[in-house]
Amino acid sequence: MFFALDAEQLTFASTVRDFLAHRFDLDKVRAVVDDTAGDGAPAALWKAAGEQGWLAVLVPEEHDGLGLGMVDAQVIARELGAGVAPGPWAPTVLAGEAVRLGGSAEQQARLLPRLATGQLAATVALRGEGGRYAAAEAPFEARDGRLTGRALPVEYPGIAHTIVAAAGDGLYLVDPAAPGVSVTALSAYDGTTRVGAVELDGAEAEPLPGIDAAAALLDRAAVLTASDLAGVAREALRRTVAYGREREQFGRPVGSFQAIKHALADLHVGITMAEHAVLFAAHAVDAGLPGAALAVSVAKSKAGETAVAATGAMIQYHGGIGYTWEHEAHLFYKRAKRQAAVFGDVTMHRERIAALTIG
Amino acid sequence: MDLTYTEDEEQFRDELRSWLRANIPDEWTRPGFWRSLPSDESFRMRRDWERDKAMAGFAGIEWPVEFGGRGGTPGMKAIYDEEMVAARAPQTVNALGLTFLAPTVMAIGTAEQKRDIIGPMLRNEVIWCQGFSEPGAGSDLAALSTRGVRDGDEFVVNGQKVWTTNASHGDKIFAMVRTEPGDSKHRGISMLLIDMHQPGVEARPLRQLSGDSEFGEVFFTDARVKATDCLGSLGEGWGTAMLLLSFERGASGIGQYTEFRRQYDEIVRVARRLGRAQEPVARQQLARCLAELECLRYHAMHVLTQVEQGRDLGSEASLTKLQWSETFQDLWEVFDDIAGPEAVLAQPRPGLDLIPMQAQAFWSRSVTIWGGSSQVQRNIVAERLLGLPR
Repeated sequence: MFFALDAEQLTFASTVRDFLAHRFDLDKVRAVVDDTAGDGAPAALWKAAGEQGWLAVLVPEEHDGLGLGMVDAQVIARELGAGVAPGPWAPTVLAGEAVRLGGSAEQQARLLPRLATGQLAATVALRGEGGRYAAAEAPFEARDGRLTGRALPVEYPGIAHTIVAAAGDGLYLVDPAAPGVSVTALSAYDGTTRVGAVELDGAEAEPLPGIDAAAALLDRAAVLTASDLAGVAREALRRTVAYGREREQFGRPVGSFQAIKHALADLHVGITMAEHAVLFAAHAVDAGLPGAALAVSVAKSKAGETAVAATGAMIQYHGGIGYTWEHEAHLFYKRAKRQAAVFGDVTMHRERIAALTIG
Repeated sequence: MDLTYTEDEEQFRDELRSWLRANIPDEWTRPGFWRSLPSDESFRMRRDWERDKAMAGFAGIEWPVEFGGRGGTPGMKAIYDEEMVAARAPQTVNALGLTFLAPTVMAIGTAEQKRDIIGPMLRNEVIWCQGFSEPGAGSDLAALSTRGVRDGDEFVVNGQKVWTTNASHGDKIFAMVRTEPGDSKHRGISMLLIDMHQPGVEARPLRQLSGDSEFGEVFFTDARVKATDCLGSLGEGWGTAMLLLSFERGASGIGQYTEFRRQYDEIVRVARRLGRAQEPVARQQLARCLAELECLRYHAMHVLTQVEQGRDLGSEASLTKLQWSETFQDLWEVFDDIAGPEAVLAQPRPGLDLIPMQAQAFWSRSVTIWGGSSQVQRNIVAERLLGLPR
């Protein structure tokens, strides 16, 4: 039995964590958030993602990737969440997964090496306005190789060189520059991530021939998002504990009061469980375990619920300062809110758990 | 990642499974069977069965062979816990002894204690009680007032213990007794191993809110115990108790998961029978519980991994306790919601016997109290794992 990260995975985690701490701390994140006109994809971070293998993690070695699995990818996602890091890492990795899972040999050879190095950014458009994240509810309709429909929110569509679009009969690659494609930036309160809408009006699209890739892609997206949420939650708790040790009222550190202690203890239990659940789900997806779908929904629902609670607690236990723009609590809270809702929210994943265990 | 057991461990599973299949009558596995028997008879049957199991080599799974154990791996212990639940085997009658006392004796007992305590315990010749809580010392254990006064080579013990599991069936009790005034609250306590079959010891059952009497009170009136029947050094009982409690470790998490998951499936059956399995709110509640149960399973794998790697989990046992006890209680709250007005009917109806489930629902109110209440566990998590100030 070995249910833990191995030495290499731990090293990978600390490499990402150290890079963010030294080269892309919260001041830098805040600059991206405040620069609402910018593309939200800082070059220094993107360069590191390409050079240090963060983007290559799931790309097979034959296409210049590291050929690792979701357990390794969730290590990176967690650190990026903990650092509320901006940039199109997740959508690019997911687009790569779509090509790896559903693409032809030619499509893989054409795209994967460039996705692995960061030469191309890409994204995925898997959900229609007001719809659910489900392969059966794809946002686009395909007719004669042309797609029509509207997807949102899509991460970083403005800088994606390729958009993986979900239609009722499978996944397609869309060139954002093609006729009939319109990409609109959408202002959103989580400034750590840029989102937009992708509208296709009979746009030419290139099918990814693999079957069932859409469902597999949604599960992978849910796992990486859950991991980001676990990272957000852990860091929110860490910062709140640090403040509780330091901030004094009534002549004592506020963290010595049981009203606060017990709430933080419960969050520690919840976050620990979310971390376990993400690790297990990542492994279940890698190993193709029969219970993988259940594990994914456990991880996403648990991580979403916990991250929203932990970031809300971060605001509450910082008191008034936690409710200000200048304090970092809102960066964590807003990212948690966004991530908890995408690729299936808590309610949707619980319904899937119910469907799998009750019928 | 490697979530498999070794070949030897799987071989052990097969052997244990065959033994359990051959040695558990079908009738015993019916829900509510054990509660339908008079408690003395149920205790005796379980005591004898557990002895036979030990004789067959299926006890003390991870204990060293020199102590009469099987010399197995932590993985085999996890498999043992899982298979015992899966086979609906009778629950142990010597849990406090096997879980807490035995490993403490192995760690710090004298040669005589090791010889005299562990073997007889494995064979259920001696049933052990734990004497910690008192009417005036619950969460604040060090406030205990049971006293031992030295008289030659013996102590004379006076006082009262409470919430003592198996009080009526116990043979011996490991009891926290103040033997010296002590210069601080935690000093001067000794862990004495007291024979319960003597005139100075009286056990009285307590009736629990479920109607059962699994625990009781133990009164000491000039009870006598040899000064050498002390586990750890005299006056250092606090340290002994902390070591003893550290053996909780949540290492039976995989067995617990197996049991709770079966209970979840039973609750789902009730939901179907009552036509509520498709109600969105009930489904959301059940799914929330299921997710927490799955987390408990992953956590058990994490704990097993740490144990196999030889790491000390320390205060993480408090986190484990919170996760399983709060989840278990939540699950049975959901049961009450789903069963609705039927939940209180203590009378079986066709295809719907809720009595064994009511017993679990009642029991779920106790698990967040015994073994350190959730409030105490949260203090431990906050102070020792998160580093918040006292």
